[in-house]
Amino acid sequence: MNYNWNWGIYFEPSPEGVGTYADMLLSGLQWTVATALSSWVIAFFLGSLIGVMRTLPSKAAQAFGTAYVELFRNIPLLVQMFLWYFVVPELLPESLGTRLKQLPNAPFVTAVVCLGLFTASRVAEQVRAGIQALPRGQGMAGTALGLTVAQTYRHVLLPNAYRIILPPLTSEFLNNLKNTSVALTIGLLELTARARAMQEFSFQVFEAFTAATILYVLINVVVIVLATWLERTVAVPGTR
Amino acid sequence: MTSTPMPAPGAAKPVATAVQAPEDEGLQTGPLVTPPPATAAGVPMIAIDAISKWYGSFQVLTDCTTQIAKGEVVVVCGPSGSGKSTLIKCVNALEPFQSGQITVDGTRVKDKATNLPKLRSRVGMVFQHFELFPHLSIIENLTLAQRKVLGRSSDDAKTRGRDLLARVGLSAHSEKYPGQLSGGQQQRVAIARALAMNPVVMLFDEPTSALDPEMVGEVLDVMVELARDGMTMMVVTHEMGFARKVADRVIFMDKGEIVEDAKKDDFFGKPRSERAQHFLSKILQH
Ligand SMILES: Nc1ncnc2c1ncn2[C@@H]1O[C@H](COP(=O)(O)OP(=O)(O)O)[C@@H](O)[C@H]1O
Ligand SMILES: [Mg+2]
Repeated sequence: MNYNWNWGIYFEPSPEGVGTYADMLLSGLQWTVATALSSWVIAFFLGSLIGVMRTLPSKAAQAFGTAYVELFRNIPLLVQMFLWYFVVPELLPESLGTRLKQLPNAPFVTAVVCLGLFTASRVAEQVRAGIQALPRGQGMAGTALGLTVAQTYRHVLLPNAYRIILPPLTSEFLNNLKNTSVALTIGLLELTARARAMQEFSFQVFEAFTAATILYVLINVVVIVLATWLERTVAVPGTR
Repeated sequence: MTSTPMPAPGAAKPVATAVQAPEDEGLQTGPLVTPPPATAAGVPMIAIDAISKWYGSFQVLTDCTTQIAKGEVVVVCGPSGSGKSTLIKCVNALEPFQSGQITVDGTRVKDKATNLPKLRSRVGMVFQHFELFPHLSIIENLTLAQRKVLGRSSDDAKTRGRDLLARVGLSAHSEKYPGQLSGGQQQRVAIARALAMNPVVMLFDEPTSALDPEMVGEVLDVMVELARDGMTMMVVTHEMGFARKVADRVIFMDKGEIVEDAKKDDFFGKPRSERAQHFLSKILQH
């Protein structure tokens, strides 16, 4: 193989004018983290709501929850990304569509919404499974004490369901983090996009993707450490 | 005597009956073991009137009618699957029913105008599997609904919670979690949790069936004290010793029907129906 290794490339100035290649990669990392965290907020709250709906007695709520999950879980993420970025603005009233396209961070906003709604369908399934894993008497005990349905979910069912599903939720969080790379297709300058740019400018493909890989692994490690700490913190005394 | 410290009969007004209801004014000071019959002046505490319930095409309750007077203790027994749990859950509307009416302390259960959470907060319920909230400490289990449903301050709720923990002999455990207590202790906490709401009625659905035999006694002791304090109680149980000791009446159910509804002495003396005789002979053999 005729390849010129150059591990010093990271500290050479990038062709963007300001900063080095390392700065470029780190700025990509920042966008990756920002997109992952923002979309997770949507995914967590919306997913919890949809998951709860699937466990309510109301048939209409169940049907809505099921429809949501099947829709967002079964369309490929890449297709959803394109739909939100290229198709949805065209379907809106013209003035609103134009406003969307001209948003200063249109790729970021679109990626956050798209990933949030997609991951919400997966969070919803975990939340539903967690609630259904609880003894039926738990909800009854809350109801019998006079708690409303909302209070029973808020104070009895969800705190226990979240504890059960913390490990699979951690996986979903990591999946969501990795899925941010799909947003490079709509122009988000996240970590993978920056590694590709570095490769194109410098032809140092191995160095570029080695750095990206290491950075992805590092954030995964951080997430796992935090999740383990969280699991320990919320563990209920007297169980296991 | 019992292992649980409770106010002696005739001492201070029993906490369990110290309810907001105006008809509690001038309550008797001693234990009320023989209440006035349900037909006497005043409405019964629980009136179950011609209840029928179906699961799809399967009729689980058929035309059940009975009344429970204030202060009365009624034991409900019958073979497994006869509808005892379903009937008792209809009383606080945990289960809906298609026909008939239930009235609890003057409030109709099946009525669009009824505030069900408010009604339920006045009807204590104890389950076979305790159903304490595992993620909350014992004292938090006792205060949650007081704060969220009755709007009591955290301090008031805690004071009341500690009071009741003392009554069931578990003061030392208030900061523990349900998973750290034995079954018998958990069930006593569950009783205290229900009492913390100042219920006018207590429902028990096989409260000792999930317990190891050596723990049955401590829970029954608490229930006996409660009965002697004048609490109105509807108890699904096969503990005939408990029935003999404190029940006023015994209801025998079979296949969704109330087959027998008799004063305790009549029931144990000479059950009129063959089905009840058969059931009793089986259950009393052990
Ligand atoms: N949710 C339900 N759906 C259908 N059938 C039920 C349901 N709950 C209880 N049943 C049936 O109703 C009957 C009475 O149940 P239950 O009230 O639990 O009896 P018991 O408490 O006397 O053992 C049983 O035959 C039981 O199988
Ligand atoms: Mg039962």
